[in-house]
Amino acid sequence: MDQFRRIQTGKKGDIFMVLFKDKKILDDTMLDEIRTEMAQLLGKASGPDVLLDFSNVEFMSSAMLGLLGQLHRKISAGQGRLKMCSIRPEIFQVFKLTNLDKLFSIHKDAPTALATFT
Amino acid sequence: MQARILQKRLADAGHTVRWAENGALALEMARERRPDIIISDIEMPVATGYDFCKAVKTDSALRTVPFILLSTLSDPIDIIRGLDAGADNYVTKPYEPDYLLARMQALLATPLDGSDDATAATLEVSLAGQKFKVKAGRQQVLNLLVSTFENAVSKNQELVVANQELSVARDSLQKTNEELVTLNSEISRINAQMIRDLEAAAKVQRSLLPAADVNLPALDVAWRYVPCQSLAGDFLNIFPLDEERVGLFVVDVSGHGVPSSLMAVTVGRFLTPKVSDSSLLVRQAPDGRVVVASPADVATQLNRLFQADEFSGLYFTMLYGVLHVPSGRLDYASGGHPALVRIPAGGGPPEFHGAEGFPIAFVPEVEYEQRSLQLQPGDRIYLYSDGVPEAMDKDQEPYGDDKMAACIAGGRAGPLDQSVAGLLEAVEEWCRPAGPLDDVTILGVEWKP
Repeated sequence: MDQFRRIQTGKKGDIFMVLFKDKKILDDTMLDEIRTEMAQLLGKASGPDVLLDFSNVEFMSSAMLGLLGQLHRKISAGQGRLKMCSIRPEIFQVFKLTNLDKLFSIHKDAPTALATFT
Repeated sequence: MQARILQKRLADAGHTVRWAENGALALEMARERRPDIIISDIEMPVATGYDFCKAVKTDSALRTVPFILLSTLSDPIDIIRGLDAGADNYVTKPYEPDYLLARMQALLATPLDGSDDATAATLEVSLAGQKFKVKAGRQQVLNLLVSTFENAVSKNQELVVANQELSVARDSLQKTNEELVTLNSEISRINAQMIRDLEAAAKVQRSLLPAADVNLPALDVAWRYVPCQSLAGDFLNIFPLDEERVGLFVVDVSGHGVPSSLMAVTVGRFLTPKVSDSSLLVRQAPDGRVVVASPADVATQLNRLFQADEFSGLYFTMLYGVLHVPSGRLDYASGGHPALVRIPAGGGPPEFHGAEGFPIAFVPEVEYEQRSLQLQPGDRIYLYSDGVPEAMDKDQEPYGDDKMAACIAGGRAGPLDQSVAGLLEAVEEWCRPAGPLDDVTILGVEWKP
């Protein structure tokens, strides 16, 4: 299933597991690639449950938050659930600064996050 | 290998071919059975083409056998050596097999007159400063001369063809070059246009900033604004809303470049102190009084206005405050924006004051919280974009809230403008040598009633 440049994907039951491959998510080109790859992955899945794993991500731009917001809206609109995990403190700071830690469902690690889907 | 290819070509033309790998073997072969014609390379092991030719031409049984030398003719001396060896014809390599066959036909059609030898005279030839004595018969000299000439004509024809091809290639290159020049000037034109557009856009953006001479009663104001690209996502302003109140804000649109700056300009149209249809900050009541909107209302309305059917991913954070100048009361709301820093005039430690609220345009239909802060005479407040605390040094370490607050507090004894300039300097120093990767915006206000 590893056909993407920016994301590594897998499935755990019905849950789409997405691991960002890059350490730095900064420029617009990279964001566009992630956006396209996510759209390809989720395709026509109705109400998908998605877990985004940030283990590799050391830096990300504010524009990445916008992308996460897009995903959040699209997935919620389809009655799906978007969760995130393994966000290191420096990155979590970006969520906290913008209050978005209260919008997104953020978990310590993948097992903890997966347990909350049931 | 070459001999084999030639052998096949001659056999195809109806000749019986025998071949040897060097001059010595070939001579034996010729003596064994007299050939009609001999074709020989010059460069051969054991005996060269010249040696072989000389041996044939001094053999009474073989001397009338026409002898063709295959030569690269790199040196005119080769001709002399061929003459001296008694060769009848030269064919220069590389050659077309048809050309060689034509030469063979010509030689076979005019049998050599063996008696020519009797009249052979010793000729003296001068070439390249050297004198050569050559003994050659008239027919041989004539044949060799004609073949040399024909070779030259043949080579010349090849050169003419090659020259024509070169000429075509040159024309095509010239055409491509002209196209490149045109394309290049087109790119320069478009580039110049883009630079003009960017400059115009940057000018529009600067119109969103405070007037050069911000002069507000009972307030001291200082600000710095350093976009990381020609177009920024940040902007700030401070202006009077009515006789007692002053509005102030810092806005930070996500991303950089054209989309972000377009959004910044659009947001700016709503954040104007002039009573108009677009202003969210002030409106005129039916009795003519100016009504100032509360910061929470401004944030909530902006968020409503910037909802699109499909979220583009573009959003902004904002801290908007309304300061009641006579009382020193600051009401403010935040759309996901970093907290403001207050430096108490009394000398207490710096304080962070923030309000809850998601970035604007991010989440539909949310209400924004409003908070208040009572200033004391001489208090300073600082609004800024996240480009300040999130500025990264070369090891990707963020500048951070603590250093920022300490830097601002360190400038409390000096003029306000110096403290703002000092913070910008500290951020730029922190980011050395790469420089800040985000827009840096700082607004400082001191209340001195």
